[in-house]
Amino acid sequence: MSRDAEDRSVASEAEEGRDTGPASTDDAPDSTGQTDRRAEPRSRPEPAERHTDADSLTETQPDAEELPAPARGLDSRVRLIWALRATVSAVVVGAITGVGGMLVFDRPLVGVGVFLALLIVGNIHAWYRYRRWSYQVRADSLLLTRGVFTRTKTVVPYVRIQHVDASRGPAERLLGIATTVVYTAGSRGADVSIPGLTQAGAEALQTRLKRLAIAAEGEDAV
Amino acid sequence: MSDPGVSHQRLAQRSIGYRSLEMAARLGWILLFVTFGSSQLLAAWQTGLLIAGGLLAAGGYQFVFWRRFEYELTEDTFDIRSGVFSRRTREIPLDRVQNVDLQRNVFQQAVGLTEVRLETAGGSTTEATLRFVTEAEAARLREAISLQKRAAGSESTAEAESVAGEQPPAEERHETLFEISPRELGLLGLISVDLRLLSILTVLLPLVLPSVGRRVGGEGPLMSAPLVSFALGAPIAAFFIVFVTAIVSGVFTLTNYWGFQLRRGAEELLYDRGLLQRFSGTIPLEKVQAFAISENVLARRFGYASLSVETAGYGPGDSSGSQSAVPIAQRDRVLELARSVDSFEEISFERPPARARYRYFLRYLLVVGGVVTVAYLANRFTGFAVAWQYAVGLVVLAPIGAHLKWANLGYAVLDSHLVTRTGFWTRETRIIPYFRVQTLIQSSSLLQRRRNLSSVVADTAGSGGLGGSNARAMDIDAREAEELRSTIERRFQQAVERGPLSSRRSRRTPGPDIGPSEGPSSSGSV
Repeated sequence: MSRDAEDRSVASEAEEGRDTGPASTDDAPDSTGQTDRRAEPRSRPEPAERHTDADSLTETQPDAEELPAPARGLDSRVRLIWALRATVSAVVVGAITGVGGMLVFDRPLVGVGVFLALLIVGNIHAWYRYRRWSYQVRADSLLLTRGVFTRTKTVVPYVRIQHVDASRGPAERLLGIATTVVYTAGSRGADVSIPGLTQAGAEALQTRLKRLAIAAEGEDAV
Repeated sequence: MSDPGVSHQRLAQRSIGYRSLEMAARLGWILLFVTFGSSQLLAAWQTGLLIAGGLLAAGGYQFVFWRRFEYELTEDTFDIRSGVFSRRTREIPLDRVQNVDLQRNVFQQAVGLTEVRLETAGGSTTEATLRFVTEAEAARLREAISLQKRAAGSESTAEAESVAGEQPPAEERHETLFEISPRELGLLGLISVDLRLLSILTVLLPLVLPSVGRRVGGEGPLMSAPLVSFALGAPIAAFFIVFVTAIVSGVFTLTNYWGFQLRRGAEELLYDRGLLQRFSGTIPLEKVQAFAISENVLARRFGYASLSVETAGYGPGDSSGSQSAVPIAQRDRVLELARSVDSFEEISFERPPARARYRYFLRYLLVVGGVVTVAYLANRFTGFAVAWQYAVGLVVLAPIGAHLKWANLGYAVLDSHLVTRTGFWTRETRIIPYFRVQTLIQSSSLLQRRRNLSSVVADTAGSGGLGGSNARAMDIDAREAEELRSTIERRFQQAVERGPLSSRRSRRTPGPDIGPSEGPSSSGSV
């Protein structure tokens, strides 16, 4: 796609993004879309039903969706990544304690015990983390809900988005998933990242957030 | 109006000499080492030659630096072309400039040079540093930047003619808001002793003292008994430490805030301070991210507080108090000053429920446990005799600390501002406009969930790093927290739709509206 064409499509879809009606794609004038959004009731229901991950992300085009979109979970493959990370750190810590135990107390089995304990805890944690993670693309802001021990809800207004990245590490590439990272000018939690998206999903989310950020009017307050 | 026709200005010529000397002085210690070192590598004349050569080289380099350093203030940017070996051209859009700071130390004052710094948001270092220009040029530059900034800003709001038309002379626009009195300066020196440092020392001291006492006066019959040495030594040492800390920090604060003065222009605050090192800075009102009122234990006792006005200009590293708007003033006066900058209503705090105390109690118990363990291990495995038994006594402090911590928590939801309060040693009250919120974070840890508590943090683009710049409403009821979060979200959206700062109109005219909410404010429309 040429740059011009992309710009045009961004602009047109930005207008649609503002509009709450899903059907009116062709004739949505700017002004009505604006008032529609303002008049919309502010009470946003808590995520009632969680759509299952991959299907809803890939099939629907972002511009045809309604805002506020329902809360979504992550792709289940992200568990593998987290489990892998937990395993690696379990191996490292287990090896260190194993060597230490062997040298100091002459008990190499300590390392094995530590390794097993960390492996189990890490994997359970990964499982619950996946269960707890959800994100919601709402009318004015992005809402992330996550955390096993400390539960956190982060609200990022679209007006405050500085830029959006889609990143894929080696393990993520292997499994075919990606992370979307959102940057604001804030000092703490400046970058908000959503791991465990399908490749197409991450790109779609990136484009969508980009459009919403462009559509949201207001200064960046810096 | 500054003349944009004059382009490509250079730094002051005097700066060549100053910078060369500075550069030579920085390398001087090597020379000193070589000359007066044990091996005596060089004779006196050789040293003299080296010094002369060094000065010549430094002078040459600085001359080229000066030749190649050009800056220019255009209609809407500040351009710098610089670099001796690698050239750099930098353009800074004027409406992105956050702070303009001038500073000069004693030597620079003597030769009449000033360092100018421009800060923008983002980036970890100062975006533009002019070392050095003359005092007159620095003042002119600052004036011109703020004028052109305002002209550029008002073009969009269709007020260009009115602003440009009746532009009063520069001196008249500045109204003095605050001037530090000798009494306040003295008090500032007194209360700026870092109490946290003291508390750590006084806790640590009795633990280590027995062994110290034994080592120092081990032979004497009096000092050999650990209890006696503890009873004697601790107060003396504690007094000594307090004394020295107080003197040092007092003198430091005194020279730092000597002659502090806060003035207000049409769209900015200006401050001057310092004895040995003169600081002078500009805080643009439209860039203000947050107000922070902090009062430490002593200041609270006397009814004093300090106000800092935060912008997003400084990097996380250098929050060196340079944004402090009022170093010390009576609490009412501080609030009044803050209100004169941005109008907000009377604050009445919502308090967290009493059950929140338990969390801090547990936390402090854990800390005490840690201290006891470390002290015990130190006693057992190192040569030092550490009186770890005393550390157990700290348990008594845990509930007291928890209560004090809890008693100072609070938050308030105003029409267009969120106010939060935390801290016992230094109680900090943060006032942030909803409009400035960047992200909102609501979190509840395992322990908080057990008590049905939650915390809400509103993050702004301020500069105080490490959790310094955000307003936190700690340990409130979970349902209340949920409500607070959605309230802030709602008001944020309203503020964004309403435009940058609704109360800005009242600020444009620096009238006598310093009293609380006397000025016209459209912010009360919720």
